[in-house]
Amino acid sequence: MSPLISRGFGGRRRRDVDPARIPPGQYVVDDFPVLSAGPTPTVSLDQWTFSITGAVDEPASWSWEEFLALPSEEIRTDIHCVTKWSKLDTAWKGVSVDVLLEHVDTAAEFVSAFCDGGYTTNLPFADVTDGQAWVAYEFDGEPLEPVHGGPARLLVPHLYFWKSAKWVRGLELLDHDEPGFWETNGYHNRGDPWKEQRYWSD
Amino acid sequence: MERLAPQPAPLTWRVATLARLQPETSSATTLILDVPEWPGHLAGQHVDVRLTAEDGYQAERSYSIASAPQDAHLALTVERIDDGEVSPYLTDELHPGDQLELRGPIGGYFTWNAADGGPLLLLGGGSGLVPLMAMLRHRAAAKSDAAATVLVSARSWEDVLYRDELATHDDHGVTVRYTLTREQPPGWAGWAGRVNLEMLRELGADPGAPLRVFVCGPTGFVEHVADVLVQLGHDPHRIKTERFGPTGG
Amino acid sequence: MEATEQHTDGNAIAGILQEIFVAEFTTLERTCQSCGDRNPAGAHRSYRGAGIVLRCPHCGDVALRLAVLPDEYVFELRGAWSRRSNT
Repeated sequence: MSPLISRGFGGRRRRDVDPARIPPGQYVVDDFPVLSAGPTPTVSLDQWTFSITGAVDEPASWSWEEFLALPSEEIRTDIHCVTKWSKLDTAWKGVSVDVLLEHVDTAAEFVSAFCDGGYTTNLPFADVTDGQAWVAYEFDGEPLEPVHGGPARLLVPHLYFWKSAKWVRGLELLDHDEPGFWETNGYHNRGDPWKEQRYWSD
Repeated sequence: MERLAPQPAPLTWRVATLARLQPETSSATTLILDVPEWPGHLAGQHVDVRLTAEDGYQAERSYSIASAPQDAHLALTVERIDDGEVSPYLTDELHPGDQLELRGPIGGYFTWNAADGGPLLLLGGGSGLVPLMAMLRHRAAAKSDAAATVLVSARSWEDVLYRDELATHDDHGVTVRYTLTREQPPGWAGWAGRVNLEMLRELGADPGAPLRVFVCGPTGFVEHVADVLVQLGHDPHRIKTERFGPTGG
Repeated sequence: MEATEQHTDGNAIAGILQEIFVAEFTTLERTCQSCGDRNPAGAHRSYRGAGIVLRCPHCGDVALRLAVLPDEYVFELRGAWSRRSNT
């Protein structure tokens, strides 16, 4: 039975956007929906660290102060959530993953992002290098709010936003792929919005 | 409408027709619906409402059933959230005769049947009062003698849902008390501010009594009230909760 | 106690759960694999990320992960779940 059309209902989508900017099946929103797999963790900044671990000769780790002292970038980008909303021209500030990997010697082909609260997500190494990924700590000129992943989250805007792991604490470099929280439960292993890779059947 | 049992699965989407709208407060409206072959429901249950735009875009929300199982029509009380996507459509765009897609009744956990007995302790924040009102209406229709104590938390006196009707339940074995969190009318002798230990003690929310406790409203309200009840000595497993999310609507 | 109240509970996802399991779900009881606490599904906290997560109200560990795909439901249940057998 096809659903009943609700006369006069349009939803809260923006229609005045260049369709070339919107991946298939997405709609544009002006707010910033909050989605999480669990409660917002509380972490004190003097205990926060970000680490590169795994298939490396020497794991690297930064404290919050050391992290903020790293070269950072302003990023302006569109983001796309697998639940179908897209938000255009979002403004972030963060450290490029290329900077974090600068002194790291590795032959890793995959990474697994690990986070406060236990969330994980996996990515090919090639998807987090060459200016495609950051660890972001500011959004819209302000410190990243906890509900949106603060103090810091992974930002990988060319993939669906479940890959931009909130409350990220590090990247484990691996020689094999380790599907993460959603990838092991129905979601696509890579998640390219332009190929509409939402689910593991896609 | 004689059946008073939760509808076993499967759930199917049904087309309901709006019979009439009943304003409750400046922001809340009750939708009185005709639902063909409605299987009956238990007080506390809800329905999922689905809206579909012409291009296929869909939005779905859950609304607690306000009507008693014994009532002839299904009633949903909708709090209009200003920048909401669904609630303004329901409160502002629908006219009597319009159709609406819904499925239900849903939820067997947060329910009360007169046969379960009391005494009841009902704590509702904002639109969290809706399923609790269904319980009170069911209690009256079933002529239950279960004692009931109700604590209604609202921003202001104007925001209290079902004000006049609550006054009629008060006096029939039901005690209704209010706490107004943002503003109080001149001469207000009731409580103000968030629900606290003193209020619960005054209500006789004794952890030793075999109370059936139901807490409903925005998530923050429910978490806070459940915490206070636990502080008072209540077993968390004996407190039934229903959280409406951050906005409560 | 959480820093935010973005979650709801098992009641909020009762519709989709009944769609999948073709049975009333919120009254099922779960004994947590981590802390051993026993609670009905309706009392569990629910979160919406890419998919849906249900968590133990006592310790926060995962009770259910759920993804709704166009042609399938993918779910993982953790802990020991129980329902009355009505005999």
